[in-house]
Amino acid sequence: MDLTLIVVLVIALALFFDFTNGFHDTANAMATPIATGAISPKKAVALAAILNLVGAFLSTEVAKTISGGIINEDPTSGVAIGPAMIFAGLMGAVIWNLFTWLLGLPSSSSHALFGGLVGAAIVGAGFASVNYSVLLSKVLLPALCAPVIAGISAYLCTKLAYAITKRENGAAPKRGGFRYGQIFSSSLVALSHGTNDAQKTMGIITLTLVASGLQDSDSGVQFWVVATCAFAIALGTYTGGWRIIATMGSGLTDVKPAQGFAAEMSTASAILTSSHLGFALSTTQVASGSVIGSGMGRKGGEVRWGTAGRIALGWLFTLPAAAAVGGVAAAITHLGTIGIVIVAIAGTGAMLTIWFLSRKQPHDHESNISDIDNSGAAVNILTKKERRAKAKAEAKLAKAAAAQKEADNS
Amino acid sequence: MIDWTAFLIVAAITWFSAMAIVAAYSFGVRLLAVAKDEGRNQSLSNAGAYACFAICGLIVLFGVVLIVPQLSEAILGFSSSH
Repeated sequence: MDLTLIVVLVIALALFFDFTNGFHDTANAMATPIATGAISPKKAVALAAILNLVGAFLSTEVAKTISGGIINEDPTSGVAIGPAMIFAGLMGAVIWNLFTWLLGLPSSSSHALFGGLVGAAIVGAGFASVNYSVLLSKVLLPALCAPVIAGISAYLCTKLAYAITKRENGAAPKRGGFRYGQIFSSSLVALSHGTNDAQKTMGIITLTLVASGLQDSDSGVQFWVVATCAFAIALGTYTGGWRIIATMGSGLTDVKPAQGFAAEMSTASAILTSSHLGFALSTTQVASGSVIGSGMGRKGGEVRWGTAGRIALGWLFTLPAAAAVGGVAAAITHLGTIGIVIVAIAGTGAMLTIWFLSRKQPHDHESNISDIDNSGAAVNILTKKERRAKAKAEAKLAKAAAAQKEADNS
Repeated sequence: MIDWTAFLIVAAITWFSAMAIVAAYSFGVRLLAVAKDEGRNQSLSNAGAYACFAICGLIVLFGVVLIVPQLSEAILGFSSSH
């Protein structure tokens, strides 16, 4: 197959991936201010699209991690893998993403991308083609640390916001101002989404250009790559917004404006700082960490560890599963041109099948308009009445224990 | 091999910046509530509130300047990019 044709194929598929990423993640940023009525849905979606576009232009550190770190360099050809293998890896990521979307499983599109790429590289060029220390320090460890960091931040910020706005002698705290603050904090989340997620596609396209000898391995990301990725994610964000508007009014987790503001500020800070240091994160995971953290920071907040654990398990599963799909695709591309044709046709067929299946059955997870909404369900906020009942029960238990002790001593 | 200081930097900056912005905004919200109280200097409280909101914006702007290499070189005279 012509070298340039496969490059064009990879770029098209990468931009499609970028588009679905924006499509999928709009709700994460903009659902709460729309729900609280702080901003009209049309304005919110347009704002999110513009900020994703701007965010994509801010930094290229994450793109450099992907294009120049994860896959080892090869002295003869620049990088250890060819464009066909990147194509296979991307196909694995896209199919796994659509498949989990169809089943309503929690998943991370970023981890699907890395999984697919690593799986394809291992099958296509052996275990030595992947730089595991970069994979560990820039992808796997940040995936564990960043949601925890954001969660702790959201917990502290929620406590702080409630403490500062608490009024003495029964005056109303009037926390309504946080509703408008959420326009500001949601905008920052959209901006940070652009800085981290759009860059993953930039990294993939740059890696392809390097692998096919069209660019030096040590040069940065080209401007047209930045621009096309920025527009693809912005277009996806804008298109995805209509889905939120259509499903609006369905069950949204009980997030109060002050709490939402604290959570979103923590999410945006964590993602922006990580982007600057080249950590390729899943923005959904960070946002979920913040939602859970801020829920714990509210009076009477309790975590349903079972639900939280199920979500985390789905995330852990993403990387190896996408690696398996990417590996299979890479094995097929080894057949040469015919293999690439098979992967392209089978992949497109799988995408269309999943899409038709999704139209046929109404899915339950669509009632939850965003992934972080699922994480919100992992926090249980007790009402005042429930808190009192719980305190009473605990006091009773403590009394019984004390009485028991007394009886033992005598 | 693993750059643990990078994780410490992410944690410290996330906690510090998020808490600084949330604190500034919360004081703004509180001052707006105070402005509606009886016998208070309404315009002074309102001005304080908007000053707090402006501080939020400035912290965010500073963060963006730090992230964009061209801006940080032009304004701060150094770039923290790798």
